[in-house]
Parts: sequence; structure tokens; C-alpha cells
Amino acid sequence: MTHAISRRAVLRAAIGAGIASPLLAGCGALTPASSRPGALSVHTQLSGAVAGARVFSDAVATYERRFARTVALLKNGSDLPIVFETSSLAGAEADVALVNLQGRTLSWTGLGATIPVTRLLDDWGLRDKIIPEAVAEWTDGSGNVRAFPFTRTNWPVSFNTRLLDEAGVGIPTTSDELIAAAQALRAKGIGPVTVGGSDWSGQKLFLQIIQGFLTAEESKKVFASGKLSESAGAVAGVEHFVELRDAGVFIDNVQGYTSDSELTQFNTGKAAIVPAMSSALAKVPAERAKEVTVGGWPKPSRGGVLDHPSVIQSYNGHGIWISENGAKKLDLVEPFVKYLYSDEVTDAMILGSGRDMSRVTGTLSTDFPLVAQASRLTAAQVSPVMLPDLTIPQSAFEPMIQATATAYGPVSVERIVDVFEKAYATA
Amino acid sequence: MARTALRPLRDRVGSITSGALAWIYCALLVVPLYYFVVSSFKDNEQIFESPLALPGTWDFSNFGTAIDQAELVLAVANSVITTVAALVLTLLLALPASFALARSNGRLGRFVENIFALGFLIPSFAALFPTFLLAAALGLFHSRTFVVFLLPATALPLSIVILTSFMRAIPRELEEAASMDGASALQVLRQVYLPICVPGIATVLLLNFLSFWNAYLYPLILIGPDTAQRTIQVALPTLKVDAGTDYGVLMAGTLFTLLPVYLVYTVLQRQMQRALISGAVKG
Repeated sequence: MTHAISRRAVLRAAIGAGIASPLLAGCGALTPASSRPGALSVHTQLSGAVAGARVFSDAVATYERRFARTVALLKNGSDLPIVFETSSLAGAEADVALVNLQGRTLSWTGLGATIPVTRLLDDWGLRDKIIPEAVAEWTDGSGNVRAFPFTRTNWPVSFNTRLLDEAGVGIPTTSDELIAAAQALRAKGIGPVTVGGSDWSGQKLFLQIIQGFLTAEESKKVFASGKLSESAGAVAGVEHFVELRDAGVFIDNVQGYTSDSELTQFNTGKAAIVPAMSSALAKVPAERAKEVTVGGWPKPSRGGVLDHPSVIQSYNGHGIWISENGAKKLDLVEPFVKYLYSDEVTDAMILGSGRDMSRVTGTLSTDFPLVAQASRLTAAQVSPVMLPDLTIPQSAFEPMIQATATAYGPVSVERIVDVFEKAYATA
Repeated sequence: MARTALRPLRDRVGSITSGALAWIYCALLVVPLYYFVVSSFKDNEQIFESPLALPGTWDFSNFGTAIDQAELVLAVANSVITTVAALVLTLLLALPASFALARSNGRLGRFVENIFALGFLIPSFAALFPTFLLAAALGLFHSRTFVVFLLPATALPLSIVILTSFMRAIPRELEEAASMDGASALQVLRQVYLPICVPGIATVLLLNFLSFWNAYLYPLILIGPDTAQRTIQVALPTLKVDAGTDYGVLMAGTLFTLLPVYLVYTVLQRQMQRALISGAVKG
């Protein structure tokens, strides 16, 4: 009996692999830098295809060369919090983590997984370098600053003026204008507002629209408790959302779209309006960016609490968190964090990747015109509303997204309120 | 006469139906693969505008971007190390165990075989936390070593069931003849059983390769995010971002990671098909 693979070949392969594996494992590139003495391990979400990842890793490489230090970059995407937490349980977490404040990370400082940086802000001379509102947003209920605010985000609305011109309408600033614009766009076969109805991007817009009828304090209360029915403003906001939805403001089948597909719809000219955060605006192709004007979400024509179209403005980008392990080597953490707040790194992040930074700076993005436009929006043009992530309880975060996804379908106001409240109750 | 005239017609209808179903099945497999390959040469606009059209240019820049952004070369090296080491360990453990079980006629052998089969009942999610605690207790957390030991443990039940069934089909006379010539048990395994079990070994290798190569959760938690150690399945998701994923780059990166799978499948598929068709082995 003969076989294509002989016994000898199998044995050779097995022995070869057995010898090669440890040899390969010994290669320098495959040896963890974090295991080297004196190394600082930095666990970052600024990695892969995320805007600013390349600029950040280049900045870290420069730091290593210039100061003869070793920094091990550990990289994850949205799975960073769970990896950090399990590492923390084993006492093997990175010294520093760069991750945003949302869901699981809200409880890190309270649980002792990371240390408050309140005192370090002053000791390291960073307080004056960081926008005060950013520090305030990163401060928890006990007065502890959870982490150093690093990047921030604007959440403006982008309008494709070429498509609006084609439909014979201008940039809408009120809900009546928006409905009229949507009808004109539809008549020309152009999608009006595109948004990821099935995910967090749809959730953000839903909550932004509701905030048209809520003061900042009311918003915090409603998003913390989830009790829409107990707030007349919140119910009015949901009614307004349904009015817009039923008037055809959103593209068809919006319930099935995601944050990725909304941008693709906009970037390919299939839809004229998209609410998107500034890091996503950095990815709008230059040709499309020429046709785009950045503004706010049209304010309610009747009722409501806003003077201007709304924009979500938040300092909740990536924060620089110090773990329990990092607290034991603050002598290594301090120069690294100070370096990240240098003019050099701030400018590189803004100019090289279009990131909005929490560092006080006058630098504006040049190669990312939409990000720059968003940064230039003033209080006379737009009314800022809050990013609800900070007030939504961790356990309600995912269930609430499912609830808001329901709102983009053909359901009544009562049903939306009911599903929303149940998401909090069952979380 | 009417019956005989009908039979060829029925055969023809059956043949056409089965042929049509085979082509539909083939299309179901080929169309997504085609979409996947052509998309890796396009940008988002082309992917969404004309998903099934051929790319305007066969530009490999998406591959370069994916490899660069997610550091895929390092990740592939780590996956190769982890997968190959785990496969070698699996065979080193499964072959003698299966040999012993195949030759055993007693109750103890059946009991041990059932113990191995119990492994099928443990859901992988349920084992994650105790496994994590074990890794931490052994000081092997955030290392490839622990995963190299863990993966064979998860693969042994299926590997032993397959190899034991192959070895049971080998006529006892061959072993007796070798023993009469003075062969030890190890020599019988090496010189009698192993050559005959090559299709079974290939099957075990292929199935476990796919499982080890595609493992995500355990390497994510146990090996961790250090680029010097993380495997391909942990590195690849960093190409997906919250807003504005470049699907051409993501597809290119995924295609790059599939090349080793294709190579291994090409090498082992004939042996695996032989094993599946024969179901048993002749000496």
C-alpha cells in the first residue's frame, strides 16, 4: 500500500516542526518586549486601522530612541477592556492603558483596577496642559480623575452640499427644513440621512435627538435611570424622533445599517447627510470632503430647548489609565505620559491623523478639512449636547443599543419607551 | 415495456436534478469566495457600488496596508509556532493512546475510551475561567506555552476517537506476525500501525490544524495582546474599526491569513478524502 505522504515524511515534518518551533520562539521579534527589564507596557486601542494608530506608534518609537527606554505596545481593538480585566485578575495587566471611558471602563478606578490620577495631574504639571472640561468629564462621582484625557471627539453632522444642491435645498437647520430636504432628496433618488440604525451610531443619534427636548441635567438623569416615561421632555423627544422617522428623514432600511455602512453610504454619495464622529471624518476621502460642510443636527422647529442645531461634544476619547502595576513604576510612567502631552506629539496626532486632542492647543488639522471644520464650530452656530456614554450604566449599555435599534423600525412611541425602559430594567 | 421506458426518463430527471443541485451548491461556495477575493483588490466605494465586478486594477496595496497595520507577518509566525507545536504534541499523545486503546479488549480500555469521549461534553466557554486560573497559577499567563499545552487537551477526544477506529480496523495478524519477529510494542506502533494509519493521521492533522489556527477566544485571553506573541486571529480584528472600516484592507488581511490554511488543506486533502471514503483501512 502506498500513500502520497510517507511515514518518513510525516516523522521528518513532526521532528522538524518540534525543533523549529522553539527556535522561532527565540527570535527577537517574537520575544515580548514587556518581559525586558525596565520596560513599560502600554496597552492601547490606538492600533491597527484606527485613526492615529500609526502616528501614535511612531511617537512611541521616537520616545524609545530619544530617551533610551523600552516601551512594549500591546494592541487590541474593541476587545481591549476584557483583555485588560482578565490580565488584571492575574496581576499581569499592562502598566498603562489607552482606552475610552465607556461601559466596562467606567468602573475601573472604583474597583481599584486603575489608580486615580488626580494628584498626578498636579505633581506632573499636566493640569494646565489639559482642557479643564476634559478633566471634569473624566472625574467620577467621588472627585477622582479616572485617567489623563488624551483624545476627544466631536460628533457633528456632515452635509453633502453637492447632493443638497442637486435636490434644490440648503443645509437644514430646523426639523421642518430637514423633512423638506429629505423629501426633495428622495424625489431625486438620493438617500437623506444615513445612520447605523442597528448599532451604537444609531443609538447616539437617537439620544441626540431626544436631547433636543432635555436640559443637560435632565439628560443625565434620564440616561442614568432609563425612565423615559417619567420625563415629559424625553417623551417629547421620542415623539419628535418618530415624527422625523415617519417623514422619511432616514434612508430606507436604516434599521439594518451599521456605523460602517452609514459612512460608506455617505462616502459613495448614496446619502446626503451623516452624523459621524470626528475620527470617522478623518477617513472621508478628499474628493468627497470637498463637497461636505459640517454642522449640527437640525433643532426641533417647535418646542425643544436648543438655540441651534446640536452637536455631541465630548472629551471621552482615549484616556491614559495607570494600572496597579503601573502605579509601582511611576518613575517609568511619568516621563512617558509627559511626552505624550508634549507639543510634538499633540501636533503629530492632530496634523498626521486628524485626531481631536484634549491637550490645550491652537493647532488645527490641515490635511483633514472636515475635522478642522468641526473644531471651528462655535456656540453661535451649534448647541453642544452630551455624549450619553458616561451616564448609561454599564449593564444597560448593550441592551439599550438593541432598544434604540427598535426605534428605527415601524414602531409606536409607546413601544419605543417600553422597550427602552425594559432594557434598563432587565440589564 | 412501459416500466422500462419510464426508468431511463426517471434516471435522466434524477441525474439532471442532482447535477443542478451540485452546481447550485458549487455556486453557493464559489460566489462568496469570488466576492471575497475580488473585494480584497478594491476600495469601499467599488465594493459597495459593484460588489461582483472585477477590480479596475489588480492593485496589491490593500495587502501591504493590512500586513503593515495589523503586523500580520509576526502574527502569522506566532500562529505557526502555536499551531505546529500543538499539532506535534497532539499526535505524540494521541497516537500511543489510540494504539493502546485499539489493542485493549478489557473493561479498563473501554472505560478509558469513554473518559476521553467525555471531553466532547465540555463546552469551551465553560472551561475558559478555570483555564485562565490554571494559567495564572502556573505562571504561564500571557505566554504561547500554555496555549500549546491547552490546545492538544481540547483536541484529544476527537483525535483519539478517529485514530482508535483506524487502528481497530488493522488485522491483529499483522501485529502478531511482527511480534513473532521480535518487534516491541513501540516498533509495532511505528512500523505496522503508523504506515497504515496515514490517512487517519492526516485527517486528525487537518481537523486540528483548522481548529488551532482559527482559535480566537483562548489565545486572546491567554496569550494576550503583545504583538510579539499574539496570533493571527487576535491581530486580524484590529483592522476593523468602530467607524470607517476599509473593507478592502480587511478582506486582504483575511485572505493573507487563509493562505496557510489553503496550503495545508492542499497537502492533506487527498489523505483525508481517502480516510473518509474508506472508513476502514486494509493492511
